[in-house]
Amino acid sequence: MAMIEIQGLKKSFGKLEVLKNISFTVERGDVVAIIGSSGSGKSTILRCLINLEQIDGGTVTVDGEPMIEDGRYVPPAEVKKITAKMGMVFQSFNLFPHMTVRQNLMMPAMTVKKMPKGEALEECIKLLDKVGLADKIDAYPSKLSGGQKQRVEIARSLMMKPEIILFDEPTSALDPELTGEVLAVMKQLAQEHMTMIVVTHEMAFAREVANKVLFMHDGEILESGTPEQIFGNPQEVRTREFLRSIF
Amino acid sequence: MNLEHIWKLTQPLLMGAQTTILLFLIVILLSLPLGFVFTAMVRSRFRVVRLIGNAYINLMRGTPLLLQLFFIYFGLPILPVIGPYLKFGRFTAACIGFVLNYAAYFAEIYRGGLLAIDKGQYEACKVLGLSKAQTTLKVILPQMIRVALPSLANESITLVKDTSLLYAVSVPEVLHYAKLAVSREMTTVPFILAAIIYLLMVLLLTFFFRKVEKKFSFK
Repeated sequence: MAMIEIQGLKKSFGKLEVLKNISFTVERGDVVAIIGSSGSGKSTILRCLINLEQIDGGTVTVDGEPMIEDGRYVPPAEVKKITAKMGMVFQSFNLFPHMTVRQNLMMPAMTVKKMPKGEALEECIKLLDKVGLADKIDAYPSKLSGGQKQRVEIARSLMMKPEIILFDEPTSALDPELTGEVLAVMKQLAQEHMTMIVVTHEMAFAREVANKVLFMHDGEILESGTPEQIFGNPQEVRTREFLRSIF
Repeated sequence: MNLEHIWKLTQPLLMGAQTTILLFLIVILLSLPLGFVFTAMVRSRFRVVRLIGNAYINLMRGTPLLLQLFFIYFGLPILPVIGPYLKFGRFTAACIGFVLNYAAYFAEIYRGGLLAIDKGQYEACKVLGLSKAQTTLKVILPQMIRVALPSLANESITLVKDTSLLYAVSVPEVLHYAKLAVSREMTTVPFILAAIIYLLMVLLLTFFFRKVEKKFSFK
């Protein structure tokens, strides 16, 4: 059974059609990279999936459970249950500035998942260790570099034990020398078979880590396939043009 | 003028200061939360509620506090029909006027604080599954307060000095006793003493807010 199935997804902002007719499937353990120029609708797909944007049409099924059927959402409580299977990492790493790293990780897990404090702390330490920031547990976000913030953000979303993580340009706001540490954590997650959808401009990462690449242009998926197909032998003129402009 | 005389002049002023401090505390304790209510109103989904909230804030900020105090103490009791039920003691009337007035200012300060919060904070909360109430309580309010603190401090200092308006509804406070002593003894010393008392209260308040701001700096 597919982890995520999207059929004919449509989304407009006013008169502007941002997503025209998006269909794709994500299998468990897939790492899907969505590439394409700015404004092509990449981020909007993720935002629709996790219900930060309302869609205008289409069907979305997550882990066998329908979230949207032909443009109609299931009841809000069900939507919430389904989106809880997904975590999201934002470009602008939205850590809570008034909480230490520890509180950032523990508060949502304890509040939403009712995780007991002891367990939450144990999990928090484990995950900070995993992203290489165990020594920052009591630091406030203002004391962290961009790369460190993004790694904390990843750890925070892992606290909620998601089945899928959506990455919305996770390295775009970082200085070039800081992208490596974040990509390394993501690569590790991929090796652990976390299902991931990554909107990215990091072509090397997409090529190396993803097993599926979607090329978007103007609200449509113009081409999709394995990284070898997309990067090695792109069929569409637009894809070739885009890749040429990047490399 | 010797020290003993100065102390004698200071004593009634300190008595007046008690009234000032009492009014200050009552107004702060009641208007800070009431301000939230008006902030919530002007941000409401419902147009009518927004309209009422905005009208209230504009009215309170757009007319002098002294006029409001006069209205509540002298004006309300002579209204037809309901007047007799709206007769308050001097101090109570003053408290009502101050609380209603300051709540409007605090509401605007909170609103400013909320505007400063990035929309990414709300999105992160939603993605993590926090409810609206949890988001407000655990994430938005603490950040809003940090942004609002300097303005809240400023407004509180204004409040200390505004308490001298009690003079207008004949509640004896610092200024009242100072003026009495000045006319009685033909010396400006009581005015200077009153100034020192206000200054000390404001400095204490400033020090207090510095401490709170430090606590809310999140570093």
